[in-house]
Amino acid sequence: MKPNIRLLNIPQSLSARFLDSNPQLFRELRGKLKTRNIVIAAAIAVMTQFMAVILLLGKLPAFNIIGNQCGRYGMALVYQEYSHQVCYAQNTAGDWVINWQLWWLDLFVILSLLSIFALLIGGTYLLIADLVKEEERGTLNFIRLTPQSASSVLLGKILGVPILLYTAIALVFPLHLVAGLQSQIPLHLILAFDLTVMASCAFYYSLALLWSLFNVGVSGLKPWLASGAIGFCLLFLTKLLSNDYHYLNFDHFLAWTFIFHPGIILSYLIDASHLRFGTTDFLTPNDLAQLSFYGQAFWTKAGTGISLICLNFCLWTYWGWAILKRRFHNPEGTMLSKVHSYWLTAWFTVIALGFTLQQDPLSTYVIIDNFIFLQFSLSLFGLGLIFALSPQRQTLYDWARYRHQTGKDNTLWKELVLGDNSPSTVAVAINLAIAILFITPSILLLLNHDKQAVFWGLILSGTNILLYAVIAQFILTSKTRHRGIWSMVTVGSMIILPPIFLGLAEVSFQALPQVWLLSFMPIEATQYASFGAIAFTLLGQWLGITVIGLQMTRKLKHAGASETKILMSREIINS
Amino acid sequence: MKELAIAAYGLTKKFEGYLAVNDLDLEVQAGEVYGLIGPNGAGKTTLIRMLAAAEEPTKGEIYLHGDRLLRDDSNHGLKQRIGYLPDDFPLYDDLTVVDYLEYFARLYRLKPPRRDRRIQEVLELVQLENKRQSLISTLSRGMKQRLSLARTIIHEPILLLLDEPVSGLDPIARQQFRQIIKVLQEAGMTILISSHVLSDLAELCTSIGIMELGFLVESTSLSELYQRLSRPQITLATLGKMEKLTQQLSRHSLVKTWEIIDHHRLRIDFQGGTSECAELLRSLILADIPITEFHPSPEDLEGIFLKLGHQQTS
Repeated sequence: MKPNIRLLNIPQSLSARFLDSNPQLFRELRGKLKTRNIVIAAAIAVMTQFMAVILLLGKLPAFNIIGNQCGRYGMALVYQEYSHQVCYAQNTAGDWVINWQLWWLDLFVILSLLSIFALLIGGTYLLIADLVKEEERGTLNFIRLTPQSASSVLLGKILGVPILLYTAIALVFPLHLVAGLQSQIPLHLILAFDLTVMASCAFYYSLALLWSLFNVGVSGLKPWLASGAIGFCLLFLTKLLSNDYHYLNFDHFLAWTFIFHPGIILSYLIDASHLRFGTTDFLTPNDLAQLSFYGQAFWTKAGTGISLICLNFCLWTYWGWAILKRRFHNPEGTMLSKVHSYWLTAWFTVIALGFTLQQDPLSTYVIIDNFIFLQFSLSLFGLGLIFALSPQRQTLYDWARYRHQTGKDNTLWKELVLGDNSPSTVAVAINLAIAILFITPSILLLLNHDKQAVFWGLILSGTNILLYAVIAQFILTSKTRHRGIWSMVTVGSMIILPPIFLGLAEVSFQALPQVWLLSFMPIEATQYASFGAIAFTLLGQWLGITVIGLQMTRKLKHAGASETKILMSREIINS
Repeated sequence: MKELAIAAYGLTKKFEGYLAVNDLDLEVQAGEVYGLIGPNGAGKTTLIRMLAAAEEPTKGEIYLHGDRLLRDDSNHGLKQRIGYLPDDFPLYDDLTVVDYLEYFARLYRLKPPRRDRRIQEVLELVQLENKRQSLISTLSRGMKQRLSLARTIIHEPILLLLDEPVSGLDPIARQQFRQIIKVLQEAGMTILISSHVLSDLAELCTSIGIMELGFLVESTSLSELYQRLSRPQITLATLGKMEKLTQQLSRHSLVKTWEIIDHHRLRIDFQGGTSECAELLRSLILADIPITEFHPSPEDLEGIFLKLGHQQTS
């Protein structure tokens, strides 16, 4: 009997070892896996499956009705004058002939989408609510003071906090698998789908944890805001992916956003079931095949397509995790180190440019459109960088005092480029330079028309972001209360208000491009503006950057001197 | 000379607009119970949080048993040596007592069988063995405070930082808490404890630090503090001749000030020794004042604290 006992002990000792290596998971499991909770989760899972099955059974033909019946699961095609209808035929025994493969496929798709929605919306909500509660209660500080790494604690949270949700999904899994196999989807594709959903969970959950560690002053609303936003985006994308939208262009920069919806790979699974074209009304792989990266159609085949979608989630998760680890132990510090930001910008530019350059480089309209969206996304990314790299006032003042005390002028540039406590402006400028240098050759080599307009649009966007960065940093050094909010409001107003006023005044790009050059999207106006107007705008922006930059330098020098004086005077009093 | 358990030099913490801790030097020897006193806002909590690595100092350095304390992810060895109990002792209401302790034992990387043994030991120490399977939400405040202390010492730290550990406790719970601290002190732990209950500190501490407006006004051994700053006090009671008594006292050169406690009792600050005390009593009786109580005693910690605090504020 001894070998049997040992065999039985293996999983137990493995789980014990895993729990030992991750105390946070142990805590979450102990707190949440109570009989009552498990029963409720199981009941919800069973009820959901029951409802889905009942819903689909209701669409089958009624047994007691004699005569023609039409519906989705019929096998007979009835041609009419302008359309055709799918109707139910009867076999020799008088039973309805039903397309069971499609029925199972529908069940599979419903369960897949429900699982995705439950995991991503429910999971993010639970994680944010949990971490916000820990932060408010003060217990997160205890965890920070233990020898556990940020990765271990946060992984424990991700695996443990939504454990009841995972339990419910695990109970849905058998029917999901049976439905997939019954609709003749190959097992490896079903498992690939599950893997993609897990990868998407890792990404969205990392974002959720990151969001919950931000001190944005709306802690009670945090879980609702985040899960609501994710839910809205998922619903929107799911609706777009349905076949109602035949005009959906996948050879567009914005199609990149679709690969953040794990449900997109259902198209490969549906295709693999070899159902007659048009029987299903979900996205077809033909649409996805239009999407390309640096002109290469990687999404034509299921294997490559799914791998790339998973890779996309994994890479974003990596960056999210890099910020998380930093943020967890130092909530007052900047989100990103400057060195990290350079790598992130390089990586983001490579990816974004890849989706800008779609299959047909000759299609001028699409590529110009894509470059406009590229610049828009770069501008948003730049705004994110300003937020992520700008240190708080006290940190800046401490840095200024340190600079004043040491008086080393030869290390100033090194600190501005690499130091985390120095102002962010130089680092933002370097990040923008990295992006512009990488994108410019593509503009000059690949564009036939509007080359100059796109190029100057990119340059103007970059200087715009730099101007925002200087203004935001300047406000962050002021004595005003709620400086963070003020800097966001100011930069936000500079982005939003000009287009509103110009729109209300009915000033179009063509009529007065010079004014639009100062907006968040100057590329729209560069096509109509003269070189003189562009040069004048650039000069104005740089003048603004220089004046505010000098003002901030003066302020910091003064602050450094007076902080030192205050501390020195106290030291004298003490002695 | 014993090893220094805590050594902090030039410690400064600046928050938005004010200095919470101001260029503070602190040395606490190993095995000491160091009491930190001061009014609200003096900077005690900030100092303790910095010593626990829960707060980054704006300036200054902290050494624990000679090792530099830095607030980053890599400081595992030092974190293992510190036990920190904040004043609000947050807990997880959904866990049982034993699960809570096991969770922290795991966080501090205690492996079985040491983990189980240690949980049992701390439960016995804080007298919560009979509550090991109870949900934390069902415990009283005193029990929760003792459980928090158990959590603080589960990993056998050599330095305990206790911030207002007895605030809000009833006298019995305070007495129990004092007993536990004494046991920990006997076990050789260095304890830094802040409290407003000065009588508790007088009973527990070997050294005292007095904080005021972010400064450490005084830091010395308790005996030295008493010797240097404590003046005798005499509590006096008379049968309805209070006016006569105060007239008599005002003529006495060694009587500095007095404080009227009620209609027939007062407390005087006396600057003489035992023989001068006897002389005062004799002079009062000779002046025909009916003395019903004459009780000389040393000035307590509260008096010293008020005196020093007042000096600093001035």
